[in-house]
Amino acid sequence: MFEIISNTVAAFFTLSIFSFLYKDNPFYKFAEALFVGVSMGFAIPLVYENAFIPFVYTPIFLGHKFSLIIPSLLGLLYTFRFSKNLSWLSRYPIVFGMGIVGMGVPMSIHSSVLVQMRSAMLPLDTVNTALIFIGTVTILLYFFFSKDHKGVYGKFTNVGVWFMMIGFGASFGYTVMARISLLIGRIQFLVGDWLGFIK
Amino acid sequence: MKRQIPLIIVITLGFMFVAHSFIPHTISQDFLTWFQDWMKAISPFAVVLGIMSLFMVHGKKISYKAPNWQYSIVTLAGLIFTALTGFIWGTQAGTPYMWIFKNIQMPMSSTMFALLAFYIASAAYKAFRARSPEATVLLVAAIIVMLGQVPLGTMISKWIPISSKWILNVPNLASKRAIMIGVGLGMTATSLKILLGIERTYLGGGD
Amino acid sequence: MNGKIIAFFDKMQKLDRRYIYLMVALSIIIPLVIPFNSPTFTSETTENIYRKIDSFAGDPTKAVLLSFSHDASTMPELFPMEVSVLRHCFERNVRIFTICWSPAAAPLMEHAINTAKENYDVTSGVDYVNFGYKPNSLFLPIVLGMGEDISEAIDTDSQGRKIKNLDIMKEIKNYDDMNLVIDFSGGGAALSWVTYARAKFGVNVAAGITAVMVADYYPYLQTGQLIGMFRGLKGAAEYEKMVDVFASYETDEYPNGRPFSKEVIKNVKVPITKSTIIYIEDGVEFDTGIPLNYKYKVARIGMNAQSVAHIMIIVFIILGNIGFFLTRKKDNL
Repeated sequence: MFEIISNTVAAFFTLSIFSFLYKDNPFYKFAEALFVGVSMGFAIPLVYENAFIPFVYTPIFLGHKFSLIIPSLLGLLYTFRFSKNLSWLSRYPIVFGMGIVGMGVPMSIHSSVLVQMRSAMLPLDTVNTALIFIGTVTILLYFFFSKDHKGVYGKFTNVGVWFMMIGFGASFGYTVMARISLLIGRIQFLVGDWLGFIK
Repeated sequence: MKRQIPLIIVITLGFMFVAHSFIPHTISQDFLTWFQDWMKAISPFAVVLGIMSLFMVHGKKISYKAPNWQYSIVTLAGLIFTALTGFIWGTQAGTPYMWIFKNIQMPMSSTMFALLAFYIASAAYKAFRARSPEATVLLVAAIIVMLGQVPLGTMISKWIPISSKWILNVPNLASKRAIMIGVGLGMTATSLKILLGIERTYLGGGD
Repeated sequence: MNGKIIAFFDKMQKLDRRYIYLMVALSIIIPLVIPFNSPTFTSETTENIYRKIDSFAGDPTKAVLLSFSHDASTMPELFPMEVSVLRHCFERNVRIFTICWSPAAAPLMEHAINTAKENYDVTSGVDYVNFGYKPNSLFLPIVLGMGEDISEAIDTDSQGRKIKNLDIMKEIKNYDDMNLVIDFSGGGAALSWVTYARAKFGVNVAAGITAVMVADYYPYLQTGQLIGMFRGLKGAAEYEKMVDVFASYETDEYPNGRPFSKEVIKNVKVPITKSTIIYIEDGVEFDTGIPLNYKYKVARIGMNAQSVAHIMIIVFIILGNIGFFLTRKKDNL
């Protein structure tokens, strides 16, 4: 019985959101407003339990690691973000986390650029590796805007455009698939879990 | 000074992390451990920012009786009520808090995205037109990939999954790789700009 | 006659979008309510993940980490993948850890573990550990910290227990042991693992992603930065079948599941309309008697609807274009 009530509540909110397909209405507005509030409210106890207690309260008050009072105070400075005169204080916790971009420079060059370039420079022993090479180079040329895309150069960049169109087509095909999958999930809930028509 | 000191912190920490990537020394490890502990202690306070921002936006709407202000009450009541259930009865499975998540938050979150299936189908009918040779190639590639993903496609012809695989592994790979190299270089440039103090937008406005 | 056809398409062009919505809904509801058996063809990208996890079977010095980087919005695609991987690990006695980076993912992670473990005799702290929710700002410190010492970087699990005191951690220290990370997300989260954990510590990374992201991930597969990938709901359906065919298999020769074989997965069919796992090979049926619960075939049932919906969208594109060209011709006359 409890399960039926719970599923009915979930179904009510699911249908309230779907009702937007017909037209905007108070049910949709209510569900949307509640969704924003519940999502935020949901995060608070979890952050308290999983971050505040183990990383702030326990080490400082039980472990007597008093040096951690400094970063906790830094964290509190976030709250000045909305103050007119003191908002500059909120920069401190932000910049502290920002420092880690230093790590990102060598790492992202490695995985997104160097490894990818190395794989683009394989021996062109098959038609496919040659095509991948041509595609990669012509698209990179296309994104080089300092030279007019005219004449022979324009022909090259045009090849790049065709490669990109096929790439976008592939992405589009998969996007359709993803959207349909999400809807399938909701209908499996409505028709299966709630109404019990799927066995 | 309000901008300089934060900037100095970013630059110093940033270069220490660059060094950390290349030097596997114990000092370098100790630095990471220290940084982890401090970041952990800062992290829980970020959520306060979100709560304050939500209260300010909706509080304003309610006090000025802006259009649809009643829904702002729903938002804030939802926030307070959900948080309270978590603090009073805990966050484990079987609590009211988890009931709210499972029967209110989760279904709405998934349904918001499920709406997009309807829009993409309607767009397929009304907007996806083969107006130019390029658009035709895009549509044909999309159709082959879509058929290649479902069993029905394979049942129609064994060439469909083979062509779909080729599209993904050759032209698609080339196009995504080129775009990725571009994005990778861009991101590296942005990181370097932050490290060198050229990019400062993360500091926000004001002096 | 021609005029009539053009008039018809002209009218169809202006069709109210709500009729289209109705057709979309029906194209999904009907195949779900009236299920049918359709073949599930597995692909290398999914098989590679299966084989990697299977190579850890029964080894207490190896473990897999599942990173849940998503919220409920992408659950229909990612949840069946997660349940299948957990089920595979529980079947084949592979040690498994789970972690997430946003509050909204924590209950989903819990839900996935509970769903998968219902039919298995597994204990938290011995067979698996849920590291729980860690704030996103700690992603990098934790990912890098685990390269040295997992117990140190994670500290406590979802129940507040010290990781280092748990049984499961006895022979597992860092990425050398926890040698596979699978990140489930609707975005680029797996690439952060590639950028940091893979580049610095050489850990194997695989991605469970929503179909939206699939095309973008291909370059990483070719370079080997990703060892495998679940491609949306189809990937989940493929994995469900592999677990049915190999991990659930029980005979005297293989009391605890049989090894992966490309030949077998190609030839064996597992009908989803039945309530037990039945292998059909060359027309010969073998009923294992092992229950095939709805939760273990949910992605395969979904793929039936996916087939119909894809065909419908393709028909929409074609009809829309015929209408477009006919009416354009008329306007040009």
